[in-house]
Amino acid sequence: MTTPTPTTRGSATALRRVVLYATLLALALIFLMPLVWMVITSLKTYTAAQQIPPSWLPNPLAGYGYEQILNNSANPVLRWFLNSMLAATLHSLLVLVTASMAAYALARLRFRGRGVSFALIVGTLFIPPTSLIIPNFLIVDQLNWIDTLAVVVVPGAASAFGVFFLRQFFLSLPNELEEAATLDGANQWQIFFRVVLPLSKPALATLAVLSFLTNWNDFLWPIFVLFSPDKLTLPPGLGLLQGSYVTDYPVIMAGAVLASLPVLILFVLAQRHIIQGVSRSGLKG
Amino acid sequence: MIQNDMSRRRLLGLGLGLGAAASLTLAGCGGGDSSSGPAAGNGGKEYTGPKVDLKLWNGFTGGDGDIFKTLVNQFNTEHKNIAVSVATYQWEDYYNKLPGAASSGNGPDIAVMHMDQLATFAARGVITELDDVAKNLELAEGDFAPTVWKGGLYNNKRYGIPLDMHPLGFYYNKAVMQKAGLDPNKPPTTKDEYVAALAELKKAGVQGFWVSPFQFTGGMTFYSLLNQWGGTLFDADVAKATFNSDPAVEACTWLVDMIKQGYSPANVGQDADYLAFKSGKNAFTWNGIWQINDLKKSPEVQWGVAPLPQIGSKPAAWANSHNFTIVKQRANDANKVSGAKVFINWLSEHSLDWAKGGQVPARKAVREGAEFKALPEISSLAPELEYAAFPPAAPGLGEVMTTFYNSFNEAALGKKSPKQALDDGVAKANKQLEDNRKKYGS
Amino acid sequence: MADVIEVGAARDDAPPPAANAARRGASAGRTGRATPYLFLAPYLVLFGVFGLLPIVLGIWLSVHQWDFQLPNRPFIGLDNYKDLFSSDSAIYGDWWESVRATAIFTVLSVPLLVVVPLGLALLLNRSFPGRTFFRAIYFAPYVLGVAVIGLLWRFLLDANLGLVNRLAGAVGLPADTPWVTNMPWAWISLVGVTVWWTSGFNAVIYLAGLQDISPELYEAARMDGANAWQRFRNVTLPGLRPVLLFVITTTVLASANMFGQSFLITQGAPGTETRTVVWFIVEEGLRDNDAGRAAAMSIVFALMLAVVSIANFRLFRYKED
Repeated sequence: MTTPTPTTRGSATALRRVVLYATLLALALIFLMPLVWMVITSLKTYTAAQQIPPSWLPNPLAGYGYEQILNNSANPVLRWFLNSMLAATLHSLLVLVTASMAAYALARLRFRGRGVSFALIVGTLFIPPTSLIIPNFLIVDQLNWIDTLAVVVVPGAASAFGVFFLRQFFLSLPNELEEAATLDGANQWQIFFRVVLPLSKPALATLAVLSFLTNWNDFLWPIFVLFSPDKLTLPPGLGLLQGSYVTDYPVIMAGAVLASLPVLILFVLAQRHIIQGVSRSGLKG
Repeated sequence: MIQNDMSRRRLLGLGLGLGAAASLTLAGCGGGDSSSGPAAGNGGKEYTGPKVDLKLWNGFTGGDGDIFKTLVNQFNTEHKNIAVSVATYQWEDYYNKLPGAASSGNGPDIAVMHMDQLATFAARGVITELDDVAKNLELAEGDFAPTVWKGGLYNNKRYGIPLDMHPLGFYYNKAVMQKAGLDPNKPPTTKDEYVAALAELKKAGVQGFWVSPFQFTGGMTFYSLLNQWGGTLFDADVAKATFNSDPAVEACTWLVDMIKQGYSPANVGQDADYLAFKSGKNAFTWNGIWQINDLKKSPEVQWGVAPLPQIGSKPAAWANSHNFTIVKQRANDANKVSGAKVFINWLSEHSLDWAKGGQVPARKAVREGAEFKALPEISSLAPELEYAAFPPAAPGLGEVMTTFYNSFNEAALGKKSPKQALDDGVAKANKQLEDNRKKYGS
Repeated sequence: MADVIEVGAARDDAPPPAANAARRGASAGRTGRATPYLFLAPYLVLFGVFGLLPIVLGIWLSVHQWDFQLPNRPFIGLDNYKDLFSSDSAIYGDWWESVRATAIFTVLSVPLLVVVPLGLALLLNRSFPGRTFFRAIYFAPYVLGVAVIGLLWRFLLDANLGLVNRLAGAVGLPADTPWVTNMPWAWISLVGVTVWWTSGFNAVIYLAGLQDISPELYEAARMDGANAWQRFRNVTLPGLRPVLLFVITTTVLASANMFGQSFLITQGAPGTETRTVVWFIVEEGLRDNDAGRAAAMSIVFALMLAVVSIANFRLFRYKED
């Protein structure tokens, strides 16, 4: 069901293809509609966006939202965007390095305290990070990290998610390759860097994207620990675009469009590597 | 490098003893050190010291923010040795982040705050006393609405200098009124007129008055009506909640019945009442004075604004007030404090310009000037200030007010009868008030 | 706990990829004894400072009446915990209502968030022209932060003005459904929006997992005359089991931690029925400045989640047998 069969041809295949595309399109419509609406709204004037019933097409077509975002020095959206990019990239690198090493030890190495460490780490998965916001604040304050880049990069990397995720993948790696490498005289570091990591590209890429996005979308923590307008990341920044008493839809939607397009493009470009990567099963054969 | 070493050492300290660590964190922000407060400067008359940079935080994310920034720029040009920089956050985020920012040394020097937040922040030692500024500004009770004046006090000391007052106003859509055969220049002012107008509108197929179940604006409308019926939210000492009294239940019932009588749809969403007003889907909305500026941005809407109609036995309108406060710092800097006082003094004197941001100036002298009267829409709501119902001041009241608004939400959405919803709310509010008494002591 | 969790991955009945897990560790020991600890060290530093220390601090806070700013933060023993369980405290009602809200949301959303993305992943795992395009579309909502999707849907779902009711009316369905203000619609909306928003996330994890299932297994199954359903049941599902366990665990936790959606879309309405535990904790700790009580709630909540998750793992082990 998941692999196409080039051998069967003819009308049955054609029919299946039609059904497949119909399903895909119907689903795509559901997924896209709200997003299309977002783009439409971003191109409306302030008053047109508040019209009831709303019009389907932006009339008049207005650059108002985008202008407000790009020309208003009080809303340095580009700066927020770069801050977010930098924070999310560094965060996901940090997660990749620390989590892959720890997961490797927990999945493939035998040592005293392994069970306890793993239980402790996974145990924290149950604790909602948002609920520890105040203790965490006290800690980053001690580190003098408040209102710096580090405060949105580092603390989140303590999440057990990455370790848990990679460990599950490492467990499923075949032992033969490692054994062969060991016979060749490789030590654990060499095995880790030359055998395990290359074999885990899909998992690593997936984790990279997921940590990037978790960080990218985080909105409570940054609000609480970033204060200077030029240090904000996008989520608290976009929050500023929302007026106190009235919602300026075109501005917010324009901000959202500008902020999400680059990430979406990034995903399209990277998704092949994320999902396909090096197929382990292929190597094994 | 030094910075890093410092951090590590502090972190080690944290690891060694939690108690010690916590006291370390809080050493700078606790109550004890108010030495720089009242003594510094000469109450905001002038500042002649070395140049100071001041951070100011506010929640003016709307059009009022631009006007505020213009005023700050003007101040900066006029004062060579004081540079004020403004950061704006949404009010909701603002109140959440201010305590943490202040305690970590990242807070502002000057913070704008709503009247009903002052007591909480004063009790928690976030802001400093300003008695000398008030004295120097020659502010006296007679210059303010009494509640606004008292709202700035906590334990008989002044913590806030009122900048403005913003009451709830009655907005009417002239085009819709005309369509229903009503005189667009004679908005209803009494209960009978109001209900009659709604009946006419209903005949014309318009649900004239959408009752929002949310704090903005249904909760504030109920708040106003409760006071119009002669009820109160709390007793005089803010020790017991009283918003389930007979007048309160009657006011709530009247408002919720708007839905039953078909004058309002059920399940009105957040902002839906106002958006519908702008699109001519309803005729009346009870909304904040700040919407005047927003409506001016929509020239195609024909609207007017007037004081709230008197539905109950006396006139009353929800209102609140923005206040200036000075935030306590980890490191006390007398120069900053006196600079901040100069700023507050200056802006208070320029509050007429602030009126253009859509608020009524707090000072009577400014309100009664000809220039203020030349702002027709905003000055038309000034009469409300005589009977404005400001929120009571007591530390920790924020969560109790949430309970109040939530009980109205349940009544407006038909989850409970008005009586039931308010009884339940009062029961919970009383427990919260008791917790607050324990926490803040009084 | 470690034993319980390993169950999900260590299996001995199925062909690769997971089979070797049971023998894992066989290759260890070639290098110095310190090596495993060196591998662990960087993460453990992070984990210690930002994972464990906050918990310890949290426990410490939970036995105090603790406010950032109040000079007086008395030790009050277990009072914060007692308040959660004694019906005459101010927060008892709110607390259990929020637990109920979280439980409802989790129970309703998790099955959908496990199944729908799996369906998407199976569709998108085929190779056909335009696959990248569709993958991007299904993933697109997740790129938007909760602040944006919250605002967007609040507008779309408005009972009287929203587009959703307008479309419903246009096709002859009731046009006055109170999507965000009344029951059961508020839950339907919150679950629906969450499925729309995060399905792409789980689908990507499934897709990565599907890559690891060897095509030969499908070929072999086909040889044995297995139909599509049998192949799914006997090849795909067993092959996905570690990934499935992972997805279920993380989705349960993510749903239990829901906060932004109800904060922005329903605003807790009606009343406070859709106010979730995490929202309530944040409100108590930040807005109402009672960090001690918030910490006590976090700890009780974490224990509840731990029980659920352990049950979850047990369930998987039984299925295994």
